[in-house]
Amino acid sequence: MIGWLRHQKHALGSALRRLRTQPLATLLTALAMGVAISLPSGLYLMLGNLNRLAGGLPAQPEISVFLDAEASAAQKQALATRLKGPDIAEARFAPKEEALAALSMAQDLSDITAGLTENPLPDAWIVRPKASSREDLAKLSDDLAGLPGVAETHVDSQWAERLQAALAIGRTSVWLLSGLFAIALLAISGNAIRAQVLSRRDEILVSRLIGATDRYIRRPFLYLGAVQGLLGGLAAGAVLALAGWMLHKPVAHLASLYGSIFSLLPPTAIEVAAVLGLTTLFGWLGAWISVTRALRQVEASR
Amino acid sequence: MIEFSQVTKRYPGGHEALTGVSLIIEKGELVFLTGHSGAGKSTLLKLIASIERPTSGVLSVSGQNINRLSHRAVPYLRRNIGLIFQDHKLLFDRNVIENVVLPLDIAGLDRRESLKRARAVIDKVGLLNREKAHPVSLSGGEQQRVCIARALVNRPALLLADEPTGNLDAGYAADIMAMFRDFYLVGTTLLIATHDDRAIAALGGRIVHLDHGKVEEVQA
Repeated sequence: MIGWLRHQKHALGSALRRLRTQPLATLLTALAMGVAISLPSGLYLMLGNLNRLAGGLPAQPEISVFLDAEASAAQKQALATRLKGPDIAEARFAPKEEALAALSMAQDLSDITAGLTENPLPDAWIVRPKASSREDLAKLSDDLAGLPGVAETHVDSQWAERLQAALAIGRTSVWLLSGLFAIALLAISGNAIRAQVLSRRDEILVSRLIGATDRYIRRPFLYLGAVQGLLGGLAAGAVLALAGWMLHKPVAHLASLYGSIFSLLPPTAIEVAAVLGLTTLFGWLGAWISVTRALRQVEASR
Repeated sequence: MIEFSQVTKRYPGGHEALTGVSLIIEKGELVFLTGHSGAGKSTLLKLIASIERPTSGVLSVSGQNINRLSHRAVPYLRRNIGLIFQDHKLLFDRNVIENVVLPLDIAGLDRRESLKRARAVIDKVGLLNREKAHPVSLSGGEQQRVCIARALVNRPALLLADEPTGNLDAGYAADIMAMFRDFYLVGTTLLIATHDDRAIAALGGRIVHLDHGKVEEVQA
């Protein structure tokens, strides 16, 4: 056990020394990894922020049913009864006074509403149907529009639904990109380690002659791959932090145009740890594949 | 300690380096291996360290059957054998003491203890003031001493030397051979492949002569 720990310490030390003696190569590999990692993780962060933005909107589809101004009391009563039907989850009556009050609240419109002598807005029902598919919604919306005393219906949340669909595509893309860039990471790490193994051919051959096991020989290269992966993850963090810093102002500006105080949210500590852990793992894995193959070559060419 | 029984080694391509070699080397013996270059001296040493495998016949080292030794067991066999090469095989990216301490690092010994032992061995081969020197700055004789120190640091029971004085002038060669005699006197088994008749005459010991892959004569 103590011997094992000593071996680990020795291998890590030797890996760090190797990195230090080649600062430029280390930096370039870390940068290549960083760029590769920053693409999927950047997309992931962007989606997270968009999702947060979309989360403030009604995710459940709603149908607004606007009443005819001349609708009779009987017609109103019939509509209210219809809206208690089994295909409706919830229906809320929004009288025209409420709509006008809401409109007056919006700053820029208060002048206009103040000048009105009578309320031009219609009474309305906000209906939340049980069905959520687009076809069912459209059918219900048409049904309600056909009732006497109803001026018009409107399916409100169509665009939110479309956004959700787009976000789902985005999430799938994140996984796809992550997979592709994980392979890229393996390739970058493997290539860097392969060069290291070949440049240390003599050391490997001599070590073998004086009783080194394959595990002993492989170990510093595995540490090298893992540390390189970790550096790549940190480089990705730097790239994303830079991107976030550059986007901060334009996003705040755009949000202010919509009267919102939305701002970009940085990743959580768990997300950062997960990315760093994964890049370390993939650096290690790339090194393992590469060093195992290269050692076989060194053996064969002896 | 070492037993060859009808051992043949044929290299890919058909060259037969050793043909039906039978030979026993007892613990604590000093044996010189002589013969022309190409007679099979290096191959014989390589078989003992399991750098090459016999094509046929049985070879056992310290009671272990080398033919059946698994790939994973080879490193542990080599840790009990000190190997000394004609071309030294030092690592040029590190200094003398780091070269010498390598076998102890491989064995996973405590670093401070290892350095102490390495320093003692370097002292024994007469290079104590050069422990921080890099191999490039050393003469051929000094490099050979570093190689010997590295072979000794593990305190192996068996030392194999392939032309240890082949590249050295007479003065250095005599020093090295004197060193070998000291190891022999403390009980180490030594197998030295060499052309150097003067060294053999000075040290005495058993001579095994190889000719075209066959053991020609064995004389005490």
